Formats: sequence, C-alpha cells, structure tokens
Amino acid sequence: MSADEATTTKEASAPPPAPAPAAESVPPANGTPAPAAKADAGDSSPMSNPYAKEAAPSAEIFIAEGAKKRKKKPVEIAIRLTKVTKRFGAKTAVDGVSLKVKAGSVYGLIGPNGAGKTTTFSMMAGFLQPTEGVLEVLGYSPMQVDELRSRIGVLPQDALLPGTDKVGEFLVHMAQLQDIPPDACEEAARAVLSEVDGRDWWGVKCSSLSHGMAKRVQLAQALIGDPEVVLLDEPTAGLDPRVAYEVRQLIKSRKGRCTLIVSSHNLAELEEICDGAAILDRGRLVASGSMNELTASSEEIRIKLSPGPAPVPLVRDLPMVKRVEWDEERRELVVYFERGQGVDAEQVIGAVLWVLLQNQARISAVSKGRGLEQRVMELTD
Amino acid sequence: MSPFSEVRFVAQRELRKSFRSAKGIVLLVLSLLGGTAVTLLLAWVQQLKREKLQNVTPEMIESAREDAMTQAFGDPATGKLLSHTPEVLLAMFFITIWLTPLLISLLGFDNVSGDMQHKTVRYWTIRTRRASYMVGKWLGLWTTVSAITLTMHAVIWVVCIIRGEAPAATAISWGVRLWIITLPISAVWCGISTLVSSIFKTPIVALLATFAVFFVLWVTFLIGLRFNVNALTYVYPNTYDGFLINARIDRWMTGLAACVGMTALYVGASSYMFTKRDL
Repeated sequence: MSADEATTTKEASAPPPAPAPAAESVPPANGTPAPAAKADAGDSSPMSNPYAKEAAPSAEIFIAEGAKKRKKKPVEIAIRLTKVTKRFGAKTAVDGVSLKVKAGSVYGLIGPNGAGKTTTFSMMAGFLQPTEGVLEVLGYSPMQVDELRSRIGVLPQDALLPGTDKVGEFLVHMAQLQDIPPDACEEAARAVLSEVDGRDWWGVKCSSLSHGMAKRVQLAQALIGDPEVVLLDEPTAGLDPRVAYEVRQLIKSRKGRCTLIVSSHNLAELEEICDGAAILDRGRLVASGSMNELTASSEEIRIKLSPGPAPVPLVRDLPMVKRVEWDEERRELVVYFERGQGVDAEQVIGAVLWVLLQNQARISAVSKGRGLEQRVMELTD
Repeated sequence: MSPFSEVRFVAQRELRKSFRSAKGIVLLVLSLLGGTAVTLLLAWVQQLKREKLQNVTPEMIESAREDAMTQAFGDPATGKLLSHTPEVLLAMFFITIWLTPLLISLLGFDNVSGDMQHKTVRYWTIRTRRASYMVGKWLGLWTTVSAITLTMHAVIWVVCIIRGEAPAATAISWGVRLWIITLPISAVWCGISTLVSSIFKTPIVALLATFAVFFVLWVTFLIGLRFNVNALTYVYPNTYDGFLINARIDRWMTGLAACVGMTALYVGASSYMFTKRDL
C-alpha cells in the first residue's frame, strides 16, 4: 500500500489525479520504507520502527521508561477531514475539503498564498474550529486535548515563544503539560533540544534567540515526547540555507516514527521529504495523492536534448510508449507511458535513451514526471 | 492528566513569569514603596492625633471608634470588634481594597491578551484544556496579587510593631486577618481582569478596556449608593469588604459567597468564551 493514501472526495475545478487503489503497494518516491512495511513486520506502532532508535536513541529510551499513559488506539488513518469548511465572516477560507492522511506518512499541504493551507493546518491543530464538516486526528476531535495529549505535536507558523521563559524551563513546562512523569521531564526536554542541535541554549531566554534558533526550539517543543502526529507549518520559512537544510534533515530523521504533516511554500522541499500531498487553491482541494501520482513520475518521463538530432518518431514507435510530445523551442521530449505489466519509469527511460543514443541525439537532462512545482502551477491560478 | 494538574502547571508558570518580568518587579517595588509611604503617613497622623488628644483617655478614643465603626457598618458587634483593631492596619486594609483594582489591571491586562497577540497561546492549547488554561491564568494572577499585597501588609505589621502601635501578637493576628479578607475581593477583580484580557488580542486595548470596565463598575456602585438601589452596589466587588469584615457570621458568609460566585461567574465566562473562540 502506498505510504500516502490521500484521496480526493471534493469536486475540484481541476481534475484530480486518480487515487491509488487501497490495496496497491507502491514504494514512496524517496525510497523510505512505507508504513506498510512496518505492518508486515507485525507492528503498526511508529515507535517500533527501527529508524527511531537510530535517529534519537535518548528520546526512544525516554518513551520506553517514562511514558505515563498513552491512549494508544491503533489507527490506520492519522488525520481525516470530511467536507471541512471554515468561514471567517463572509470569506470562505476552506471550502468542503475532504482528505485522509495515512498513519506513518509524511504529507504536504501545498498551495499559493490564501489557498487555505494555514487555516486547514490550524483546524488540524485545534486552533480553529471548522464551520462545517468533521475533522479527526487519531480518531478524535482536535479539541479533545486530553485524548490527544502527548500524541500530537505542533509547530505553529508564527507563534512566538514566551519571551520571559528560558528555553529549558519552557520545554520542561511543555513536557509537564504532556503528562510526562516529573522526573523524566528534564531528560525529555534535553533530549529533544539536543536533537535540534540546541543543547547549549538550555539557560538562554527565549527572547534572546535568533530567528533560526527560535525556529529550532519551536520544532523541539513539537517533537517533545515523541508524538504520533507532528504538524509543521512552514518549518523552514525565514531560515538560512544551512539551518533550513538541517531542519529538513531533522524532519527526514523522523520519517517512519510518526505521521508528519508539513505545510510549506517550498515545493522542492516538499517533493524531497513528502510521501504525498494535498494541493489547495482558494480554499478548495484541487488535487491530492502520493507524490508519484501528483508528479506523474510513474506515468511520464522528460528528456532534454541539446541541439542535434531528435528522433521523435522512433521513440513514439516503442511498444510501452503511449504518447510523445516534442517541444521544439525548449527541446524537451515528454514521453507518456502506461505503468504496470512489468513496465515502470526506469524501464521506459532505458528504452528511450537507447533509441536516442542510437540515433546520435545529445541528451542533457532526464527526469521522471513533471516536478511538483509544474504540477502546482498547472492546478492553481 | 486532571484539569487540576493542568491548572497548577499553568498557574506556577504564571507566577514565575510575573515575578521575573520587569512589569512584575516594578509593580512589586512600587507597591512596597507606596505601602511604606502610606504607613509612615498613617503613623505620623497617629502621632499627631496623640499629641492633640492628650487629654482624651484611650477608653474615650476606643468608645468613639466603636461608635464610628458601628455607624459605618450598621452593626454594633462589628463596631465593637473593629474598635480593637490597630488603626494603622485598618487604614491599610481599606487602602489595599481601593488600590488592588489598579494593581490588578496593571498586572493582568496582558495576562491572556499578551499570549494571544503573538499566538504564544497555541503552545498551551494543544496541551491543556482551554478552561484549565484560563483558570490557571486567573489563579496565577490572583496569587501574584495576593503575594504583593501580603508583602505590603507585612511592611505595615513591622512598622506597627516597631512604633509600638500594637503588641506584636495583635498586629500580626489582625494583620493576617485583614489581609485574608482582601483575598476574596481581589479574586473577583482578577476574574474580571482575566475575562477582559481574554477578549482582546491587543494588550493595550485590553488595558484600556480593563480600566473602562473597572470604572463603569465603580460608577454603577456610586449610582446605587446615590439612589439607594442596593442591587447596583452589589456588582461592585469592593462592596463586600463591609460583609467580609463583619462580626456577624451570616453577613460574612454572604460576602464570601458573593465573591466566590462572582469570581466563578467571571472565570467561567472567560473559560467558556475562550473554549469557543478561534485562536
């Protein structure tokens, strides 16, 4: 089964891609083992993933020894939105959005400014209440704080840290409120602060932190206690490239340990870290699915040719090829194929390149699919 | 986690924040300086009175005080009880009652609005029930205010003892009793302040609104007094000082119940609205 089982049930202005069949098994684009693999191993708990111990052994030990009570109700769908609408007065920010995010996946919320990403995110976190529709996180309403305590972590986009608190005491306070046993709170706070590379900031006042440091402390509070669902709103916004890279690595290290929802404008980042995504535009869901489906990377390949021969008819004659488009100006060849029956993107790339090279074509670039950015540009105004 | 634990954690953090912030420290220092100044002034007045009333015996003074108190509180038993109270302490009690709303408005205006302004509140609402957060905020404010007023009162007790206004045991027993009487009244003011602060996302607007609400309550009280409409006077929390200081148990219970009820009403209303609103 695909790591991302997001499905579109809302009629959208642009045709959404066909959702993956529920029983279909497709490895995620980035090669990370899908949660289905964990299920095969006989354990659906994100905590039991072998990646967890590699990524943050201290946090893992803490959970094993210190977790006071975890209302573990195994769920297949971590987040479910059913016809969710949010209105602010006359303005409809989110309009009848329905989607499901499978437990254990990394899921992106994509869209231009005003698309409704942050509103959707805020409803998932319980900051906003839907005007209509039903929203469930791990089977509960986000307002059921006691049921979700310690099971959900949130990095809000523009919520400032309390300026008078020191980093350490803030994180310990957050740990206390998550019902982590008193003697384990500091350990949990220090572990998560180390994970964001901020172990030296323990006694620093939150008001003295730089933007990058504050962002990492905010991330630390979202990860404290190893929650099952982590919501990250623009986790790398405003960060310098090095810190953004480190944050991305940190998010990647959490893959498989929990369900991650990432809202971002940075499409390259989302394409890199997400298993699936929902594309929103003007409050409506215009597409959702696995990253493969969204980028059509399992249905088309793109080849850029340098000046020279372009044997398009020969490529068109290949048996697995469904259709070929040739853009003379950009010198780009788009090859569409039908996946299945032993045909995959890699096989098509091999066959097409063979034909091109045999005919002295000069290849400058090869890519699978359209790229998320292009897909988003197509779907949104 | 029980709501009580949530409230405790939020209130503890609020206390830490209050006594660490520049605002909290400045208000504490100002309160102490103000308290000391008032104490010295009262002591000076006492001395002046003693000099002027040299021919009047202490028994006559006590009798006059008893009459005055009986007239003020409409109850002979209360008049008799308060005639034994060291005058300086009693004066400080009434000053505290009158100054507490100002202290609370300055301490509490950004209690919730400050957290909402920059969405800091979002770190709490995913971890605590919203009602617990609000009760914790109220409790933190009330505890802070109580600690500041206790410090002010303690200064008076010390001055009172040093200057020989009253024996140490009398000064402390009456001092503690009078300070405790201020607590239910300040609880109501803290409830109102928390409610107003939770409505606005901009602290300065919350401050102005708090002043406005407190002023309206005072004006309502004055109108009630002027036109003998008791119901109007009861909306003003300071009205209950006369109940809480009363020697009659039924009056005392009425005052306490009114303060507890009003506090519950204001904190309950702020919790309810906070639970229903978008953050």
